[in-house]
Amino acid sequence: MARLFGRSGPALLALGVLPALAVAQEARITGRVVNEAGAPLANASVGIAVFGSGAFTNADGRYAFVVPSGRVQGQTVPLVARLIGYGAQTRQVTLTPGTSVQNFTMVASALRLSEVVVTGAGTTTTREKLGNVINSVDSSLIRRSNEANVVSALAGKAPNVEVRTQSGEPGSSASIRIRGYTTIQGTSQPLFVVDGTPIDNSTSVTTASTGGTVTANRASDINPNDIESVEILKGSAAAAIYGARAANGVILITTKSGRAGQTRYSLRSDITTDQVIKYYPLQYEFGQGSGGNAPVCAAPGCRLTSASYGPAITGPVFDHARDILRDGHTYDNNLQVSGGNDRTTFFLSAGQNRQQGMIIGPNNQYTRSTARLKGTHQLLGNLTIGGNANYIDTRGAYVQRGSNVSGLLLGSYRTPANFDNTQYLDTLYGLHRSYRYPRPTGTSQTATRGYDNPFFTAMSQGNKSELGRFIGNLNIDWAPLSWLTVKETVGGDYYGDYRLEALPQSSSSQPVGQVTRNDQTYLQLDNNLLATATHEFNQDISGGLTLGQNLNSRRSRFQSTLGQQLIAPTPFALQNTVSYTPVETRYLAHIEAYFAQANLDLYNQLYLTAGVRNDGFSTFGASNRRATYPKGSIAWAFTNAFNPDQRGLFSYGKLRAAYGETGNEPGVYSDATGFSVGQGAFGSGYGDALNATQSGQAGVITPGTLGAGNTLRPERTKESELGADLAFLNQRIELGVTYYNKRSTDVILQLPSAPTATGFTALVTNGAQISNKGLELTLTTHPYTSDRLGWDIGANWSRNRNLVEDLVGAEFVTRGAGSFTGAVGSVTKGYAVGVLRGNDFAICGRGLVINAVDIDAGCGAGKEGALYIDASGLPVVDPTDRVIADPNPQWIGSINTALRIGRNLRVTGLLDIRHGGQVWNGTKGALYNFGTHADTRIRNTAVAYGTSYFTDRYPTVAGPGAGKTFNVGQAWWQGEGGGFGDVSAQFIEPGGFTKLREIALSYTLDQPWVSSRLGFSGIDLRVAGRNLHTWTKYSGTDPEANLGGSAVLVQGIDYFNLPQTRSIVFSVGLNR
Amino acid sequence: MIRHKLLAFAALVPLLTSVGCNNYLTGGELSTDPNRITQANARLLFEATQPNLWTFLASDPARFSAMFARQIAGVQRQYQVIYQYGISESTTGGFFSGLYSGGGLVDLRNVESLAAAAHDSVFLGIAQTEEALLFGEAASIFGDIVYSKALSGPGTNPPLDPQLAVYDSVQALLDRAIVNLRATGATNAGPGASDLAYGGNASKWRRLAFTAKARFYMHTAEVRGSAALAAAKTASDSGITNSANDYKAVYSGAAGEQNLLYQFDVVQRSGYIAPDPYFVNFLKTRNDPRLAVYFNADQSDINPTFLGTATSGNVPTVLVSAAENLLIAAEASYKLGDQVTALAKLNQERSTTSLPSALAPSGYTLSTYPPTTTGPALLQAILDEKYIVEFLNIEAYNDYKRNCYPNLPIVANASAAKIPARLYYDQSERNVNTSIPDPNHQPVRNANDPPNATDPFGNACIGQ
Repeated sequence: MARLFGRSGPALLALGVLPALAVAQEARITGRVVNEAGAPLANASVGIAVFGSGAFTNADGRYAFVVPSGRVQGQTVPLVARLIGYGAQTRQVTLTPGTSVQNFTMVASALRLSEVVVTGAGTTTTREKLGNVINSVDSSLIRRSNEANVVSALAGKAPNVEVRTQSGEPGSSASIRIRGYTTIQGTSQPLFVVDGTPIDNSTSVTTASTGGTVTANRASDINPNDIESVEILKGSAAAAIYGARAANGVILITTKSGRAGQTRYSLRSDITTDQVIKYYPLQYEFGQGSGGNAPVCAAPGCRLTSASYGPAITGPVFDHARDILRDGHTYDNNLQVSGGNDRTTFFLSAGQNRQQGMIIGPNNQYTRSTARLKGTHQLLGNLTIGGNANYIDTRGAYVQRGSNVSGLLLGSYRTPANFDNTQYLDTLYGLHRSYRYPRPTGTSQTATRGYDNPFFTAMSQGNKSELGRFIGNLNIDWAPLSWLTVKETVGGDYYGDYRLEALPQSSSSQPVGQVTRNDQTYLQLDNNLLATATHEFNQDISGGLTLGQNLNSRRSRFQSTLGQQLIAPTPFALQNTVSYTPVETRYLAHIEAYFAQANLDLYNQLYLTAGVRNDGFSTFGASNRRATYPKGSIAWAFTNAFNPDQRGLFSYGKLRAAYGETGNEPGVYSDATGFSVGQGAFGSGYGDALNATQSGQAGVITPGTLGAGNTLRPERTKESELGADLAFLNQRIELGVTYYNKRSTDVILQLPSAPTATGFTALVTNGAQISNKGLELTLTTHPYTSDRLGWDIGANWSRNRNLVEDLVGAEFVTRGAGSFTGAVGSVTKGYAVGVLRGNDFAICGRGLVINAVDIDAGCGAGKEGALYIDASGLPVVDPTDRVIADPNPQWIGSINTALRIGRNLRVTGLLDIRHGGQVWNGTKGALYNFGTHADTRIRNTAVAYGTSYFTDRYPTVAGPGAGKTFNVGQAWWQGEGGGFGDVSAQFIEPGGFTKLREIALSYTLDQPWVSSRLGFSGIDLRVAGRNLHTWTKYSGTDPEANLGGSAVLVQGIDYFNLPQTRSIVFSVGLNR
Repeated sequence: MIRHKLLAFAALVPLLTSVGCNNYLTGGELSTDPNRITQANARLLFEATQPNLWTFLASDPARFSAMFARQIAGVQRQYQVIYQYGISESTTGGFFSGLYSGGGLVDLRNVESLAAAAHDSVFLGIAQTEEALLFGEAASIFGDIVYSKALSGPGTNPPLDPQLAVYDSVQALLDRAIVNLRATGATNAGPGASDLAYGGNASKWRRLAFTAKARFYMHTAEVRGSAALAAAKTASDSGITNSANDYKAVYSGAAGEQNLLYQFDVVQRSGYIAPDPYFVNFLKTRNDPRLAVYFNADQSDINPTFLGTATSGNVPTVLVSAAENLLIAAEASYKLGDQVTALAKLNQERSTTSLPSALAPSGYTLSTYPPTTTGPALLQAILDEKYIVEFLNIEAYNDYKRNCYPNLPIVANASAAKIPARLYYDQSERNVNTSIPDPNHQPVRNANDPPNATDPFGNACIGQ
């Protein structure tokens, strides 16, 4: 119900002809809409917005609707005709009883200025009047992406919208970041709103963000085929209407609706083959062993070396980069039925997306089944009711991954090339065998295997999720007076997500077996009430005032029970375990907000908007319960003064300026401090730990974090935005430029506290400051358009400069989740949010004195930045923790094109570019240690830093041993030259890439025989490729590395990540 | 017309305000965290201070010490690097903050104040003894540490106390603990069964406090000489003499509640560590039967029965022992010139406390030394015995730093020329406490431990 007269065909306004009801005082408005050539235009909307009255044209271009008698008072009102691709036409008509014929001739316009844009909380406007940037992504662009996850589908679609998909594994999450980080708590994901109702898009890990299984971001439950359009509210001016929920931006999703007329049917099937894009580079020459010697397994129960520094392989070779992976398949089927009559519309859809992942075995699957019913009914002439119900069933089976000795690729890539992992059960006892434990004893059911055999991992674990979700709303649209409309939307989002992560006995990370039962239920209720008054002072001056109230309630229950030590090998159920540790987390949070927005349109060229939202959140500290967020914008379509037909060399120009404030609420209960109960483990970081519940005790501890108390405020982001939208050469070229400058203050952080000073490791407090400045360019061109041929090519480019300006005195804050020993995600003053910290080798020019050696003196003059090499020819460890990598790109961009040949054949493509940014290739570091990385083939050869070794990373060297060769091999790689040494910085690699995201060829069969012989109005045939090629300098499988997915703020971590996939899609769509 | 407009607005007012009352934002779970407890008593907090202390004494600090003392070798991954002296600010990953945060000093002080308020001097003395053990041992690892100004409040950048001042504070604290542990009134209930080590037995805690005094006096003996030795000897006379009363970390053996070394070596990080050939050889040349107790038959790993059964690592970890107490007495007596007492204490240790009875295989005995053992031979016998009996205890490393004995060779592929003599402060502490110098400006050695030019027998000291 969000849009009036939108592109999508607003159901509530889809009135047909009402001849039977017509009485003398009614006004009947009818007519025909054609293009400049006189050809009829279907699906154009014609209506009187202030009454909510109108209709769509049929295939012959004709429309008709009735204005009820109560409103026909001889007044003059604007009648507007709109159609995508054409400029809107407005005509003043005088309402008098009887029939009035109003014909329109539409002029093609690429600018889409009259397109209705959803601006949030029930408000809408047209694109021309926008004083700030809102990027719209329509259904065809979503569809072209071939992504099952709507967030992944947004990659490359808009400037400064950075999307990272976790991996190619079904059910993995995708994170989205808009105009940089404004916050350091949570994960910086925007608010998602579907048809006016906020929904949950959290990504909650089941057991561990760097191990365990992938988990979905919850917006992926939305079926992309149901989506009509996505609006991305980027800046604070655009998003201020959502107040303290909007500092990370807002994604507004509008689903498809039915429209009056013939019932339409659409059945579409996609079959997709997913292939691994790139396999990890391993070596296949040297087998298991150490120092060139192969290990000997003298007796059952032997434990062999983990390394592949043995002799050259003479027997068979096994490829552990490939042998556990296969082609995945996705089957996506959707049926949609929609239609309606003059009073009632409906949209019905059913869809299923079934993915079989690329990991062998039965445990790599994800199936999402959705059903939606959306309808409206006009009860009275001025009152329409509607409803929208969406049920989602999502089920997945997963394989553990990442930093986890029971993870798939960790065990696989570390396996020597001369060990056959496919024989993962021994023939004598049928027990799990691995390269480090090749001959299990009969009593080894609960003994570690060192690392799990990846085939055992793939076949034997029990990781599952089962989600049922309902998203829906009810709405009322009431226009009590000719100038007043009232809209009420009551929506809800409820899901239960039941998860299991189970490690069978003999799993190396928990040899006695373990079951984690993790149940999450979530309910969000939202009530949005909106009253809009409009007034036209004269032909040149009109305006509107909107008042609204929003009430919101979120309730979450998270129950996780860890059952340790399986009694019998199966089932994976809590009652089959010896001891249980439950964790329960509940919360309830309420919002009560009021907002007002006024707009003034002057002389058809100057558009002013001002608004304010007052927020009350239960999560704000008790003494700062309410906060106010103002906004204002001005748009000046200056060319309308001298070039009203928007043609010619300089066809159109608009300048815009906007200012807005948004916020970010504190984490729930972060004002409070309690004691932590027993699970607070004391341990080493290597997994050995004792609990305060040891031996049946009930110990409690002072928690690590001190709550903020009553004064906690929401974070506040203030943003100014300036821009221009220009069109040239009869609108063949459109250019958008936007500059923004935003500063976030009162940013909440867990301020690191010296435990020596307080006993706490962190204090929750407001006070950090983060700034983002950026530039966004969009270029759209239509080099050629005719009936026979159409070609569009566009590009967007953006950059964001993120800077942590203040951290309340701290130099940095670590972000534990998703981080890694040695490559710790952090928020560091003077850097962008998310930089990685760790140790580097000693570098010249840093003023280092290490073990009483003055490094800079040893380097000599003018060697700043060079790698210091000591007399042995090796670099030395700098023990100082420092920033070692910035995963944030310097700029992102995309190029898209669409070529239409004739009416029916289309070719489309999208290139996604991310320039700059770094990735920590932790996989490489680890595999150097084990000697399975392809680079370790050069073992036992003489190399020198600066000339023949690691020259990409360390191009220049200095110091007493500069240029001196050393024998690289097991000793260096298992020491400081490998991933388990102190120096994680040596494994930082460039993370930029260019990806061919989409390329598609589609053909529509709509010749008369299709209808007459087959009974269909059209048949769509399509072949598409997704992620077909990646250009990158990154040496791992994919630089879009994101081990923790959208569950974590920290990106750019690659540690045995699953590869990304490329896809080939075949699609058939039947329409009637 | 005007009336219509007014009516429409009037209709809106109740809609907008009907739910607009403050109750919508406060009350119940909106205002009160339903997940966390807000009250704790002394016993509950004590139950957390106990595993925190045990983890500090038996987890990474003990394993690092044993690697630097060459009892075990790090042969894989991070442990291999640390074994080769590759240490940085992140090596101490968290165990520095654990001294102060939950379960550490903040909760020890909570227990102490709750016990004092309840007039439970025994409980107070027990908590004070835990605090002394924790901070005396921390001083031995880090040197100067934050102690006298600890917990002084946010933003105070508490300064480092000189290491020897920390030792003095710890001795004074132990003196107060010993007085408190003699209390007998009805209010002195102590922790009772919450005390997994001693069951709340005040006299056992008193003996532990005396042995702790002896330990920390010995830490200062290199710089304070005979006064410290004499004080150590005196304290040890009231300390633990029966290995049944050793202070031990005890484990239920259930998953996640196992011997820390078992969790590390068997469950979590199998293959990271192995017996150091130096120590294996040390035991072999002395024909010491503990070789078979500590290590498996081919000396490729820790002996599983030293840690527990195949699935349940429930063997306690000895943290402060009668053996240590007796050998402190022996070393102090020797260095004070009383070789008769020294020999007697050594032989008492070897005949009664050199291995907890639960671990001793059948027929296990250690020979005693004849009265003819005197002079350097006696000193070496004492030091050999302590190096062996303190297997995987931080004290073996502390003894090495003090005596340069055994005169350990540098490991192969070492990333530093000398054996590390202390660990860096945690980077997370340096981030927020301006009193902590960066690693470039931290001392190489601690105040109690100037480098030894030679070992006790005149050979050049290799590792210092």
